[in-house]
Amino acid sequence: MEILAFVSFAVLVVAWLVAPSRGAVAVVTHAEEAKAA
Amino acid sequence: MPNNISAGDTAWLLASAALVMLMTPALGFFYGGLVRRKNVLATIMHSFFILCLISVQWVLWGYTLAFGPDHGGLIGGLDWLALRGVGQDPGPYAPTVPHEAYMVFQMMFAVITPALITGAFAERKRFKAFVVFTLLWATFVYDPVAHWVWGGGWLGQLGALDFAGGTVVHITSGVSALVAALVLGRRVGYGRDSLEPHDATMTVLGASLLWFGWFGFNAGSAINAGGLAANAFVVTNTAAAMAALTWMTVSWLHKGAPSVLGAAAGAVAGLVAITPASGYVDVSASILIGLGAGVFCYTAIQLTKRLKVDDALDVFGVHGVGGAWGALATGIFATVAINSGAKDGLVYGNPGQLGIQAIAVAASIVYSAVMTFVILKLIDVFVGLRVPESEEVLGLDASQHREAAYQI
Repeated sequence: MEILAFVSFAVLVVAWLVAPSRGAVAVVTHAEEAKAA
Repeated sequence: MPNNISAGDTAWLLASAALVMLMTPALGFFYGGLVRRKNVLATIMHSFFILCLISVQWVLWGYTLAFGPDHGGLIGGLDWLALRGVGQDPGPYAPTVPHEAYMVFQMMFAVITPALITGAFAERKRFKAFVVFTLLWATFVYDPVAHWVWGGGWLGQLGALDFAGGTVVHITSGVSALVAALVLGRRVGYGRDSLEPHDATMTVLGASLLWFGWFGFNAGSAINAGGLAANAFVVTNTAAAMAALTWMTVSWLHKGAPSVLGAAAGAVAGLVAITPASGYVDVSASILIGLGAGVFCYTAIQLTKRLKVDDALDVFGVHGVGGAWGALATGIFATVAINSGAKDGLVYGNPGQLGIQAIAVAASIVYSAVMTFVILKLIDVFVGLRVPESEEVLGLDASQHREAAYQI
């Protein structure tokens, strides 16, 4: 059980390292939507 | 003060009742941020009104139906109608606190449960229909199921473990929410217009206050100020954190950005899932329960959206699925090392407990679904469930309450 707990947390940490970084695109999209409205 | 009463236990239980009370207006803010600005007052009013309505229903007849002397394992008797005989001496459920303290702690659970359902029919339900539904649902769904599990009823006799309400609170409300979403139908503009949350900050504040109140919900359910309460407190916090991290991570991988609302929803999903298990599992199990909550609840919500079920604020995905996962996980991870008065689960050599938990889950699902469907259909015939389309487009704040949330 303890090993599974450590492994599951480690999997999350690895996922954060490999996860995509596309935040700026979303911000621009919202700003454009707001202007259009 | 009678001899058996513990000042520490009583203080902790009353403080816990106050913590759980805060969860219902917190839920109003959680849901309020997720709706459009024209419906925010109506959505907050759902929770606030239920706090008032069920507070009175509970003292008049709800408590005795749920916790009164057992009748056939199905319902409590009317011995404690209007709290006759429920006073300052301990009752049968908690030997070290006044019966009134136990009653009011349970009242706050009865309050928040129907409030959870309101997220499914947000932005389109008539206020009058909501009032009648809440009163009938509390009486014919919550009170009996609470009796089955906690009031000496058949599920409790069978050995089902539910420390703080995985079946009683979350499965009943989550499944009823799904039924309500299906019976009411989709909101006007669903799939065409933007139905985006109007204030994510309000939602995160609501989730944070829910998390705070949940310490009373779970650690208070120990009904004593001791080690079991401390364990429930720790595993509650751990599961909430792990589920928030997991949900955020899964959504990040799925949609390309770490969602703030996802983290908030994930925390609530973790709190839901650990609720039935919090008095029976250790901290390692709580990490796995939080992990499962993040994955299963997120997946369930994607599925309901794909099926175009307009469960407006994802009540089924979070509470129905999270509650079922928590109830089953209790049958997997429970250990007498944490609670000597309980039973071991699957991983500690007692697979039968998982079967009992499955029966409790199935019974809660079937009963809630059928009763909610019947109640909604009756209300639709006599009162009408939905506002007219013109009022829905105008918004419920104006059409139902003649008020506006913001004057800016």
